[in-house]
Amino acid sequence: MNPSIKLLLIIIISLEISFTNHLTANAFIILISVIFLFVHHISKQSFFKLMLVPLIPALALAITIRWFSPSHSWWFATILVSRLYAYCFLGALITVSTTPLELARSLEQNAHLPSQYVYGTLAAVNMVPRTIQEVKIIRVAGQMRGVQLSFWSPRLYFKAVLAAISWSDHLAQAMESQGFVEGQARTYAHPIKVSFRDWGLFFAWIILLQLCLTFFP
Amino acid sequence: MQSKQHFHLRDIILLALIGIIFAVIYFGADFIYNALTVALSPIGYGPAANDITMGIWCMAGTLSGFLLRKPGAGFLGEFLAAAIETFMNGQWGAANFISGFVQGVATELGFTVTGYKIYNWLTVVTTSLFAAVITFGWDWFKNGYSHFAPAMQISLFIIRFISIFIFSGVLVKIIANLLERAHVVRKGY
Repeated sequence: MNPSIKLLLIIIISLEISFTNHLTANAFIILISVIFLFVHHISKQSFFKLMLVPLIPALALAITIRWFSPSHSWWFATILVSRLYAYCFLGALITVSTTPLELARSLEQNAHLPSQYVYGTLAAVNMVPRTIQEVKIIRVAGQMRGVQLSFWSPRLYFKAVLAAISWSDHLAQAMESQGFVEGQARTYAHPIKVSFRDWGLFFAWIILLQLCLTFFP
Repeated sequence: MQSKQHFHLRDIILLALIGIIFAVIYFGADFIYNALTVALSPIGYGPAANDITMGIWCMAGTLSGFLLRKPGAGFLGEFLAAAIETFMNGQWGAANFISGFVQGVATELGFTVTGYKIYNWLTVVTTSLFAAVITFGWDWFKNGYSHFAPAMQISLFIIRFISIFIFSGVLVKIIANLLERAHVVRKGY
């Protein structure tokens, strides 16, 4: 499926289940997502992690609703738990089946996002390992002076942002010197098309979800 | 800085990098969130972990707003942070996109009411207020806050406001002041 349409579909589904309380729809979404995750050959390890990660917040919500809220409703507790899992599996669908590069290309070509947003974000995403490294270096440098920098230390952010400012200058200059011009028409090395099948699938899933929400509890 | 209204390539890269910095530091916050949840659940205040850490999640947006001082910076900074976090395997999956959107709009409104002209402690108060009210409204539906007892709802809201005020208000303002003193941002008046 086209990455932009997939993103749109997933956002619409997530929004809809946030404002409706239907257990069947949530369970249906989880089931379908799990099937797709396995179709995309998700590793057992990642799947296990995906099951485990929302567990604590989900249980906390369930406990609070069941024992500490005026309604003491098991039903609503189950809905909240299934909703959290639905979000996580839906999110995983995007990250498993699409790389940031594919999504960026599709957003540029199909959703007509201005090119500086697409390539600016992509340039930054490629800096993720360096950013992780930089935050580590700042922390270690602090420790060498006997200063413990934690997530509440302004200096940690200050130094990281200073690095980010100089990187963004350098990256932008590098891209512009290689001929990148904001807002100019571009040719695509990897054209991504939107087919009728993409829209067909999109509307089919939306309609299926509405049926599920209308006819089942 | 280049022309006032538009986002240029350099701004976008900077916003995305800020998003990444925060996503990297957020990873630590996920552990705190889980530990708090486990500790508070037996007394029925498990969801409070969400409110206690809320200020940390909203920091990227406020800092972007203070740093770039353009309409849309608060929103973009927060939304990009959330989107990147999704790809870095954050805890929340698709909810990240939508929470990022909601938090982004909330922070942005805090800057909008000051007309994008004032960047001082008043802005800290307006962004904190908007962020607290709007994200609480979102959790009202998404996390079932509407089902809690009224006393709990009120205390959760107060906890949330304090968290947002401390982290994405005071802490971000201190960071912005440091950046001002380093002459990478203009003065707040």
